Amino acid sequence: MINRRHFLTTVAIGTASAAALSACGNGSSSSGQTGSAEKPVTINYTWWGNDDRAERTRKAIALFESKNPDIKVNGNFTDFAGYWQKRATEAAGGGLPDVMQWDLSYLRDYGQRNQLLDLGTVKINTDAFEKSLLPSGQIKGKTYGIPTSTNAFAVYYDPAKLAPLGIAEPDGSWSYKEFNDFLTQVGTKSNGALYGGTDYTGVWWMFNIWLRQNKIEAFTSDGKLGFSKDDLKKWWNLTGSLRGTNAIIPEDRVTQLAPKSPFGSNATATEVTWDNFMAGYLGDSGAKELKLVPVPSDDPDNLGLFLKPSMLMVASAKTKFKDAAARFIDFMVNDPEVGQIFKTSRGVPASKTQRDGTTFEGTDKLVVDYEKSIEKYLKDAPEPPIVGFGTLEASFKRIASDLNYGKLTVDGATDAWFKEAEDLIKQNS
Amino acid sequence: MTTTASPTHAPTDTAAPVYNPKSESVGVKRAKSAIFHAAALILTAIVLYPGLWMIASSFKPNSEIGGQNTSLWSNNFSFDNFVTAMDGIGGVSTLQFFTNSLILALGAVVGTILSASVSAYAFARINFPGRSLFFGMMIATLLLPFHVVIIPQYIIFQQLGLVDTYVPLLIGKFLAGDAFFVFLMVQFMRGLPAELDEAARIDGAGHARIFGSIMLPLMKPALISTSIFSFIWSWNDFLGPLLYLNTPEKYPLPLALRLFVDQTQSSDYGAMIAMSVLALLPVLIFFLIFQRYIVEGVSTQGLKG
Repeated sequence: MINRRHFLTTVAIGTASAAALSACGNGSSSSGQTGSAEKPVTINYTWWGNDDRAERTRKAIALFESKNPDIKVNGNFTDFAGYWQKRATEAAGGGLPDVMQWDLSYLRDYGQRNQLLDLGTVKINTDAFEKSLLPSGQIKGKTYGIPTSTNAFAVYYDPAKLAPLGIAEPDGSWSYKEFNDFLTQVGTKSNGALYGGTDYTGVWWMFNIWLRQNKIEAFTSDGKLGFSKDDLKKWWNLTGSLRGTNAIIPEDRVTQLAPKSPFGSNATATEVTWDNFMAGYLGDSGAKELKLVPVPSDDPDNLGLFLKPSMLMVASAKTKFKDAAARFIDFMVNDPEVGQIFKTSRGVPASKTQRDGTTFEGTDKLVVDYEKSIEKYLKDAPEPPIVGFGTLEASFKRIASDLNYGKLTVDGATDAWFKEAEDLIKQNS
Repeated sequence: MTTTASPTHAPTDTAAPVYNPKSESVGVKRAKSAIFHAAALILTAIVLYPGLWMIASSFKPNSEIGGQNTSLWSNNFSFDNFVTAMDGIGGVSTLQFFTNSLILALGAVVGTILSASVSAYAFARINFPGRSLFFGMMIATLLLPFHVVIIPQYIIFQQLGLVDTYVPLLIGKFLAGDAFFVFLMVQFMRGLPAELDEAARIDGAGHARIFGSIMLPLMKPALISTSIFSFIWSWNDFLGPLLYLNTPEKYPLPLALRLFVDQTQSSDYGAMIAMSVLALLPVLIFFLIFQRYIVEGVSTQGLKG
């Protein structure tokens, strides 16, 4: 019931905002109103996240206000799903908050509709950022988002689960065959009590990394698919012999365990995903310690890895306080004290000034050390994903799970996904 | 069937082979009733299981909720989740969320009762020009999906500067915006005998007097079912507050509940479930107090409408 209602809402908001958005957009270029210590200006800042983030953000805002007495920041927050419903409505009504926490997958959508401020026109210091990272906040030469923090892909494993099985801990330099053998070993030695992992070929970003390892682009610069059906078939066939064995957790078990992940429920020994999920996995599984190693690659010099902005800071195109908004964004991404407040809860700080000014301990250190260890393999971050990317990613996962259910063959799955992808790209171009 | 009046019949009472249609039908009835109750109990258990699961989970540590943990029982039962839940979110106390929800829900009840009953009186008893046209228009709003009007409504309230106040959430209730309740009351009033207000009119009562002294007291069942529904709907409303409220201090419970689950970070299912249990209490109490009227309210409309 909730799904249907949620769907209807999204559709209604989406359609209406699409219509309304095309009518909006302006080109004013003044730096906006400024305040003074006696008469401060008030900007609105909004973010998604839980209690923990609300607490940390409050501290950061208090710090900002004490350093900038001429600006007051009004903070408000919702959960991730509600966040985008609210933003769509506000965009249509012309009431977007001045500064917003942003997700990469929504950047192109709002940027192309002129809802976001070109941050290249205001003063934000980006000297301390990796040059390979900034393009992920840019569309057609305009900077719409500044990354606050980064995440990278990794293989998680729980050492406490491997020891009793007598399996050596992986060191992270492995080919796909070695990785598959590892998964099989876990499944066989535990007699099915513990699965090796989830089927990693169902994860879009892992496919993206594999494409990079083979020097193939996922999307061409004009927004088309850069790989062929044969590539996708090859990818889905990688785990062909593992499906249905104890190496990979069966799809019906995955569904039963939802909303928790198989790894978070202690049903698998490994998981391939973003490195900033660490805290969530630790909390869900109750494990003492989890470790991170790089993803497998058949070319040990090209792991295909990259840093992706785990979130960005953007400003509304209609903000009356461009200068204040810019100062707040600059503070949130660069200030070392802000780094101390957030640690890695937003991801690893993207700005070197902020990263160096933060002391990392325990879990935080693990994630930071991992990103440091893969530094020499890192390539350019991808551009903001095409409009409708979320749908593509979801259908990739859905079709891959049908593959695991045995409802589709690899050939059938490939045809099904290509059809959906091509339709979607045609609609949005 | 006393033994003194017919002693010869006494043995037949205990002798089974003698055919006695009455006693067999009692036996069959008993068996049927036992089967019925057993089936009803099983069904109740199935229906109540999610509730039981929720209550059990609210006492468990986060890592033992969901996933591979299928058992209701845990060795680590504690009140920690309730402590976390009562701690509030981002500096806003949980009591504040409760108060906000209560203000919205009671506001909705008062507004709906006042406005819907007056509008219903007009539709049911006053013969004004265009009555059926307006009645039709009101019914038509029932068919209009809420989602169609979200954006236009938001723009209006945004232009009026009323976003981040409770006005957008309550004004509709005070202006009989819930056509369903108006319709419910119109149907109920149409079932009341017209002779009553004719008699009152002969005694010199105007519309205000007829409405206040004759109609309102008779409409009690309808008013109560309206209160229950509008209380529960407002208490559970998520989308309205999500769109119109910006300040966390003004959030009602459904918004706060969602903040415990963050798929992009870590989710505290335990605290969320504990808070859900707490959030259910007022609705449950409200329902228990008024539930005998709700059946009355619905069934009398069925009879008289």
